[in-house]
Amino acid sequence: MTSLLNQIATITALNLRTIPQRGWMSIATVMAVALATLVLLFFLALSNGLSKTVEGSGADDIAIVLREGSNAELNSVVSKDQLNILATGPGLRRRDGAPVVSGELLVIVDGIKRSTGTAANMPFRGISADGISLRKGVTITEGRMFAPGTNEIVVGAGLLREFAGFEFGKSIRLRGSEWTVVGVFEAPGTVFESELWADIAVTQSLFDRPNIFQTMRFALNSAADLATFREWAKADARLKGLEVLSEREFYAKQASQSSGIFMIAAWGLGLTMAVGALAGAMNAMYSSVAARASEIATLRIIGFSGVAAFVGTLIEALILSALGGLVGLILAFVFFHGRTTSTLANSSFTQLVFKFDLSPSLVASAIVFALVIGFLGGLFPGVRAARQRPLLELAG
Amino acid sequence: MPDLIRLADIDKSYTRGKERIAIFDRLNMHIPAGDFIAVMGPSGSGKTTLLNLLGGADRPDKGTIEFDGKRIDNLKENELARWRAANVGFIFQFYNLMPILTAAQNVELPLMLTNLPAAKRRDNVATALKVVGLEERAKHRPRELSGGQQQRVAIARAIVADPKLLLCDEPTGDLDRATADEILGTLQLLNRQLGKTIIMVTHDAAAAKFAKRTLHLDKGKFDERELAA
Amino acid sequence: MNELFLVRKNLFRKPVRTVLLLVSILIAFLIYAFMTSLVTSMSDFNTKPTRLITLSKINFTETLPIAHYDKISRMEGVAVATHMNWFGGYYQDPVKGFMPVFAVDPETYFEVYKEDLPLSEEVKAAFFKERTAMLAAEPVARRWGWKVGQKVPLNSNIFTQADGSRVWDFTLVGTIPTPPGSSQTGSVLIHYDYFNETIDIGRDRIGWIPFLSTSAEANDKVIAAIDQRFANSADETRTNDEATFNKSFAAQLGNLALVLALVVGAAFIAILLIVGTTMTLAIRERTKEFGVMKTLGFSSGSILRMVLGESLLLAFLGAALGVLLAVGLLAAAGSMPGAPPLHLATPVLWQSALMAAGLGLVTGVLPALAAYRLSIVDALSRK
Repeated sequence: MTSLLNQIATITALNLRTIPQRGWMSIATVMAVALATLVLLFFLALSNGLSKTVEGSGADDIAIVLREGSNAELNSVVSKDQLNILATGPGLRRRDGAPVVSGELLVIVDGIKRSTGTAANMPFRGISADGISLRKGVTITEGRMFAPGTNEIVVGAGLLREFAGFEFGKSIRLRGSEWTVVGVFEAPGTVFESELWADIAVTQSLFDRPNIFQTMRFALNSAADLATFREWAKADARLKGLEVLSEREFYAKQASQSSGIFMIAAWGLGLTMAVGALAGAMNAMYSSVAARASEIATLRIIGFSGVAAFVGTLIEALILSALGGLVGLILAFVFFHGRTTSTLANSSFTQLVFKFDLSPSLVASAIVFALVIGFLGGLFPGVRAARQRPLLELAG
Repeated sequence: MPDLIRLADIDKSYTRGKERIAIFDRLNMHIPAGDFIAVMGPSGSGKTTLLNLLGGADRPDKGTIEFDGKRIDNLKENELARWRAANVGFIFQFYNLMPILTAAQNVELPLMLTNLPAAKRRDNVATALKVVGLEERAKHRPRELSGGQQQRVAIARAIVADPKLLLCDEPTGDLDRATADEILGTLQLLNRQLGKTIIMVTHDAAAAKFAKRTLHLDKGKFDERELAA
Repeated sequence: MNELFLVRKNLFRKPVRTVLLLVSILIAFLIYAFMTSLVTSMSDFNTKPTRLITLSKINFTETLPIAHYDKISRMEGVAVATHMNWFGGYYQDPVKGFMPVFAVDPETYFEVYKEDLPLSEEVKAAFFKERTAMLAAEPVARRWGWKVGQKVPLNSNIFTQADGSRVWDFTLVGTIPTPPGSSQTGSVLIHYDYFNETIDIGRDRIGWIPFLSTSAEANDKVIAAIDQRFANSADETRTNDEATFNKSFAAQLGNLALVLALVVGAAFIAILLIVGTTMTLAIRERTKEFGVMKTLGFSSGSILRMVLGESLLLAFLGAALGVLLAVGLLAAAGSMPGAPPLHLATPVLWQSALMAAGLGLVTGVLPALAAYRLSIVDALSRK
């Protein structure tokens, strides 16, 4: 056993020493693996950043009510009457005897994407006075909250970073009325940061949707009260056709919808490029085996086993591909990790601002991805190396 | 017989690394048409360089080379390539056949440089293979042939375009005695019956016996008496 | 036997190596052709310079009063206008059966989108006549197995009928052919009047007003006149030419062109490296053969041609295979649930040819020059 390990070590060392002779080809292999890894990580980081932001917005002790089966908030309709009934439900947290609730209406307004100068859909949300306390981690960092009953807007810091038109202090004309941006709020790593908020009643009236809500938010006493509240709502005939979700459930559903397309792109393109890189790696390894045919033949005469020749080749391939994976990772960290971007989050049809995010599990997938390329790339050339017969004439 | 080749005052040297190695210094030589010369001499004496110069594969630093009364040392690269295609056949120690081509295709290779129609090419290839006794092996690839057979294909390739001059660099260096003698017999035949002028570099005294005469080369100089004979 | 014969023979001298190279080239061209076609079919519809669209200044999801349409129709520089509404339609399943259903004013719609609606007079008449008539893009009808003459129940995820139902029954009277670039790709058309009478909210409001201007030169004036006319009203407008509108719509998804360029760029850098280094090695292995060929009388120029020919042949073969595979994959992807029909974008063909030529030249030029410059003496002394 030790002897086999020694043999493998000797052959691996021999392989690695001769890499410089095939320098450019080895570099090409490393780079091909690196680029495939980079493309994979690009979309995985996009997908991960998006779902992390959407999921990160959800709490367990907040209930969201919307029309059943409306896969988008935009299509949901909940009436004022239903809101009033829901507010009497069990398990709701009360402040001074009144439930903490926000009936909300989402309309879409145009902003200007800074990077392209083109119009983009901004979520403009009418919320009630409790709306802000019903969202975790929201702080006003500039100016103040809108005053109820006025044409005032507060804007998310994330939206401001990517889109123009709603800068602090600015006056905006919507539906014949002047609105003023009176505050900027932060809510790091959530969808809230990509929104504009204004008073619900003013929004309903100025956007000509009198007494129409799309979603309701309720604070629960605790996460455990969700089931009670849900069962109670289900039992009431007047609330038929409504769906009760925890905020976490609501956003988790959206996250999987929105990030799905990026997962498809990531693995579709990543694997396709991996096939290209694999072809390159196999090519390089076949050349490597061919270049060392006489050395391997000589070692076989001395008594080295075919297994050692096989493993040695495989290790060389794994080292090259691991290097490629590493280069891909470094490039990913340098070029896009933490970078802010935005896309249409398909459930609400509005722009969502989020960051590319390389989590440890993505780093692990990238390394495994690269090593699988190396393993497959070294497998068949390794078999060829193992079959190299101990011929004297080649050794000569 | 008139001279086929005249070398006049040839200087030739190589730089190897930083060193400058003089091969020929004012070499003079003339070779009559129809001759069969064996050139012998130790390594580094200039045998292969001589073949390269005679075949237009290399140029002298100084001096002139005349072939059939025309200078070839001042031809342009492409003219020289055309001249080689028409006038010289090369035979190498390790045959140097194209592994991807069959015997017949290898033989046909020089005919790509002519304007012969396809049918005529096929005839010439068949004839050349017949001359070397390999018509049966036309469709085989080099690796399916023995060393002797490969060298026969190489000879067929060298004569297919009907050049006047054949240059052989250790043509039997890689072959056993019996096979070598067959190859040398073929060369002798080409010289005697088809009138090919042959210059053959060899280490092998037995091979040299097949030639009409043997010249010894040492440090870039021929034995003057042999040269004059 | 000629040079091309030798090029072909040489290319497949080591079949495993050549096949591997072809695979990696194929992959790059597959990614390029597939992704480009995908982006193109999402954003690149036939446009007409005189076709303009007026929509709400707030956002295209906001509606406008129908009176806007009447006013715009009568404005100077407007040849013919029409209007359309988003129905939020789906068939059976809200997610899988989602489809772009538009409530349109049939006669004017057919004038504004004449080129994309090559339907027979009978079908047109049938659609104009019956209030519950419906037209569907061919791929949509095929996918759901709808037959002409059949009743099709469509749901709306936005609207409700007065009786509380969310299902409308339509009669399919014909299908719309959708050649590449058609603006009707995947769409379903129904009557505005029928829609407007049966919906619960948002009556007498319309989504967009597409119209034809009298000439492209007049566009700027018409745009300014329309948007000015409704300025400072509750329903301000934004008017754009069709191409600008499509572009900004596609831009919402993100900078697709940049993502495309990055991915395709990465794929091509990878194969450039792989093919370039392998070609260099492959040619270097044959140094002695080139020496022999030169000795036989092949000119340096013809050696250069053959080496370049080899790398070009490799690139073109790989490119052709990649584009072919892309055509197959596009057809397969286009027939998946919810996907729009996908076609190979025509420019991909000549762009691929150009890129293959570039790839072949770039990867072949160094080995070819090395072979060109090779001296016989050096080549033959090589082991």
